[in-house]
Amino acid sequence: MSGKSSREARREERLQAESEGGREGRRKRLLQIGSAAAFLVVAAVLVMIVLSANHSSGGDTNLEDVGLVNRQLHGIPQNGMVLGDPQAKVKLIEFGDLKCPVCKGFSEEIIPDVIDSKVRSGEAKIEFRNYTIIDRESTPAGAAAVAAGEQGLAWSFIELFYRNQGLETSSYVTDEFLTAIARGASVPDIGKWNEARKSKLVLGLVRRTTEEAEKLGFTGTPSFAVTGPGTKGIEPLATPGSAGAIEEAIDGAR
Amino acid sequence: MTEGSSTSFPVMKLPAEGTLRMIATFAAAFGIGVAAYIAIADSGGGAPVCLAGGSGCQTVANSTYSHLLGVNIAAFGIAGYVLLLVASLLRGDAARMGGFGLSLVGFGYSVYLTYLELFKIEAICQWCVASAILMAILFGLNAIRMVGYVGRPDER
Repeated sequence: MSGKSSREARREERLQAESEGGREGRRKRLLQIGSAAAFLVVAAVLVMIVLSANHSSGGDTNLEDVGLVNRQLHGIPQNGMVLGDPQAKVKLIEFGDLKCPVCKGFSEEIIPDVIDSKVRSGEAKIEFRNYTIIDRESTPAGAAAVAAGEQGLAWSFIELFYRNQGLETSSYVTDEFLTAIARGASVPDIGKWNEARKSKLVLGLVRRTTEEAEKLGFTGTPSFAVTGPGTKGIEPLATPGSAGAIEEAIDGAR
Repeated sequence: MTEGSSTSFPVMKLPAEGTLRMIATFAAAFGIGVAAYIAIADSGGGAPVCLAGGSGCQTVANSTYSHLLGVNIAAFGIAGYVLLLVASLLRGDAARMGGFGLSLVGFGYSVYLTYLELFKIEAICQWCVASAILMAILFGLNAIRMVGYVGRPDER
């Protein structure tokens, strides 16, 4: 190899090394940018989760679904704790706890179908009975529903409560929350409702229906029972998995 | 098989960039399908049907978290998957960095949405889970693509 070609070869090598060095520098910068972006996104997600955890999605006085509940119950008679035609021969009884998230799920996903298929038509009526098992806030919540029932709006109250239910483990059943639900349910006399929900009579009724649920052998909420011409008294259904199962039980009780 | 070795990183065997891009293309295409189904179901006033049964999809669709600024988040999902599809089809550092950034944001948001489903909405939508898995796959692929190939010449 001549001296000239050797110099050229060394020059080529140097240029290539410089070019590779530049590429590596650029690569390093891009990787740094990528790492910074990853750090920022992780931080942003954590902030969003913390903010979301501190902000209650339920249990506050900014009610949701007032219109939806009104539409769902529109035109169906409400008497005391009963929804539906008082003359209906079959009665479905729901033993529920207003603080129970599973009851909320039933209220939103299964009960509307039963209302549409069986209650609206007058085939059956549904009675809500308190079975207070979640915590000490379950009783005032249930009593507030019974008090709303004294003004013919128990089901509006119950459905609206479920739609705005807070986290099971949080304490959100305050006077403000209950009053907001009562107003949202259009309870006409809030003063009377307030008095009733704290009365011994109403609180005693909540306790009695809870005892009744226990006597029927229920251990969780919601639990259902059916009564009608085709049953021997109250027949427990426990917790049916679908609207179809409830509808079948109603048909069987006719 | 290309080796993603350099002076600054330990030597490790990586899948060829072409393979990563091809899998990412399929994942993004599936993602578009999933997000489009959720968006179409919502636009009709309904909710996606949970194939394995249950009503989690309806509960999630009816929750206040299903919309962002009045727009169903599935619409943002479609846009994100389309951009990820484009990034997987293109060569070069812009596509590598773009794909990584988009999938990073998409994956981060999926983590947040999964948190909401588990702890706030208390219901699981199978379609949202499918989308979250696809986004996790896309993030993994794009992360490997970026770490392994950014700043390097394109494969010929």
